[in-house]
Amino acid sequence: MVNDVTGLFAIKIRKILSLITSVIMLGLIAIGCGGAAYQGWSGFAGDDEILYFGSMDSRVFAINPSARSQELPFPSEGEWVLTIPTAGAPGAICGPACVPASPRAGIYATPVVIGDLVCVAIYAGDSGKLMAINRLDPGYTEGVPLRSRGEWVYPSGGQSIGAIVGSPAVVEEILYVGTSEGKVYALDVVYGESNKWKQPFDTEGKIWTSPAIEDNVVYISNYAHKFFALSSIDGSRKWGIELPAAAASSPAVVGNDVFFGTFDNQLYAVDGTNGDVKWIFSGENWFWATPVVKDGVVYAGCLDHNIYAIDVSTGNELWRFTADDQIVSTPVLVDNLLVLASDSGTVYVLEANSGKPEHDPVPVDASVKVPVRAPLYAEGNMVYVHASNRCVYCLDVQSGEKVWGFCYSEIK
Amino acid sequence: MAELWNTIILEPVLNSLIAMCNVLGGNFGLAIIVLTVIVRLILFPLTVRQTQSTKAMQSLQPRIQELQKKYAKNQQKLQQEMMKLYKEAGINPLGCLWPMLIQLPIWIALYQSIMQALAATPESLLSLSQHLYSWGAVGQAVPLNDHFLWLRLSQNGDMILAVLVGGTMWIQQKMVTPPAADPRQQSMTSMTTLMMPLMFGFFVLSFPSGLALYWVVSNIIGIIIQYFVSGGWGYLRAPSVPKQAPSQKTSLAQKPIPAEQQSKVLKQASEQSKTIKQASSEDKKKRGLFGR
Repeated sequence: MVNDVTGLFAIKIRKILSLITSVIMLGLIAIGCGGAAYQGWSGFAGDDEILYFGSMDSRVFAINPSARSQELPFPSEGEWVLTIPTAGAPGAICGPACVPASPRAGIYATPVVIGDLVCVAIYAGDSGKLMAINRLDPGYTEGVPLRSRGEWVYPSGGQSIGAIVGSPAVVEEILYVGTSEGKVYALDVVYGESNKWKQPFDTEGKIWTSPAIEDNVVYISNYAHKFFALSSIDGSRKWGIELPAAAASSPAVVGNDVFFGTFDNQLYAVDGTNGDVKWIFSGENWFWATPVVKDGVVYAGCLDHNIYAIDVSTGNELWRFTADDQIVSTPVLVDNLLVLASDSGTVYVLEANSGKPEHDPVPVDASVKVPVRAPLYAEGNMVYVHASNRCVYCLDVQSGEKVWGFCYSEIK
Repeated sequence: MAELWNTIILEPVLNSLIAMCNVLGGNFGLAIIVLTVIVRLILFPLTVRQTQSTKAMQSLQPRIQELQKKYAKNQQKLQQEMMKLYKEAGINPLGCLWPMLIQLPIWIALYQSIMQALAATPESLLSLSQHLYSWGAVGQAVPLNDHFLWLRLSQNGDMILAVLVGGTMWIQQKMVTPPAADPRQQSMTSMTTLMMPLMFGFFVLSFPSGLALYWVVSNIIGIIIQYFVSGGWGYLRAPSVPKQAPSQKTSLAQKPIPAEQQSKVLKQASEQSKTIKQASSEDKKKRGLFGR
């Protein structure tokens, strides 16, 4: 009996081997498709009671919170949506079976509002660009800006400055941004030209973080373990330090102190005048979210599920709060309350001076139940959350309850 | 299950790869090459067993084909005769399957590690944080520099690598695929030998170059092992179809094999089978591996 079974197997062994080879190949393709393709996690910029953000499906939205709370049809007053066409999607890890059907962009950077313009930085694999949209009356058609309305795209045509992940920063009508090609640009917001500095500053390493600007100094890090302080006037290097590991978070600057997290699980406090390290605080995973600083306390969200409150001058831990998942999104302060969201979608409201939850237990309705990676944004008593299910939620900080939700995936 | 896979297999390979990258001065391309070589060296005894087992099975092919013709209408008898043949030659038909199955998880882990470590998108980088050990060498190496020679390892579409992957795969396949006597079967074999490298070449264009680099290195090592185990280029240099006299109407497979030749084939297979057994014995390993 055993011999018969083995004999049958022996006859079919070649077929089985071929089958195994095919399974391996299919498995490899499937794993290839399992690699995370980019989507984006843009935060919000607000002005004139309108919120601007980049969606996870290559669009820029302007939404009116008042209209959304009344569940009026989109678009209502002040609202619009603009699709960003881009060529191809290189950079995404994706097998042949899951090549995006249509060209798309990814938006990780939080837009910035300057006068009548809203500036958006695009990831799009290696085809990153900056674009300025007339927020009052967008004129972009098929990705082409309407110059008469002050709109522009940089660089123009088929050129690119590399993928942009970090948010741009604006000071006195100059827009500063770092790109994946390792360069820092200072663009004139009115014309969208790199005319502030003679040439972009080359950090010689990929930049996926945002610059921070204080007292005419641009602070920026790259993935080649470098951290720079540049003159915002002419782009010259004031100082640069080499770190044991690359900076994972964007820097936060208060006075002469610069705070940022690194990939070796450390949070650094650096003297902004000379780059000297003041103190180092250790976590158990990356400090990915940008630290928030207020009243002598640094609030640093960590991928080890904790948010730490650290004394600015000594680097000592004041308190910590453990969330139910990693803290990826940058928290926000509303008066004396610290609002944070975990990667599981639970939104916590903590007392900033003690770390105690304002609402204990956390209201069931405060959880959006999907990963939240975009920075939180606060206006008055409301906190806005851009969740990865392509929905925007408004939460009341006082009650901890969800006020409204707007899912843009349904908007054509 | 996924958690178990990550803890036991994926994470050790992934963290070793990243730590190695740090040791090699942040050169991820070099880390891929070194880890592929190390893994292949660890799996060397298994690869040799698999290769020799396959070779022994192939040497019996003329006899098997003859039996298939002879007992085409009696499957039960065919099975019995084939088992008898395998027993006489001292070959276990499953012998070439187990080494392959054991190697499979390690290859998949290596493949996944390269994909994860490259972290081409911000989402991938974030996901990488969940699989890293708190080793200093790992934290200091992340995110990895994806420049290697002319390549951007996290980007896809490199034509040179696609050709290299396809070419090395074709050589490897050609070395182990014996020419079939039946012209129809030969045509099928040729098609398969050509289609697989073409398909992989095409896939490479859609995958990050780091992965393609791993495939090229892995194929080259496979060719080297095959060369030494088989004692040469195998069927790569052999004519694609066995020569046939113009007057002959029957194929070689149809022609009965003389008794003298039958015993020669059996002897050859038996010798190869012995070599496999010798390979598992530690003190006789070298003699067994190169089995010349």
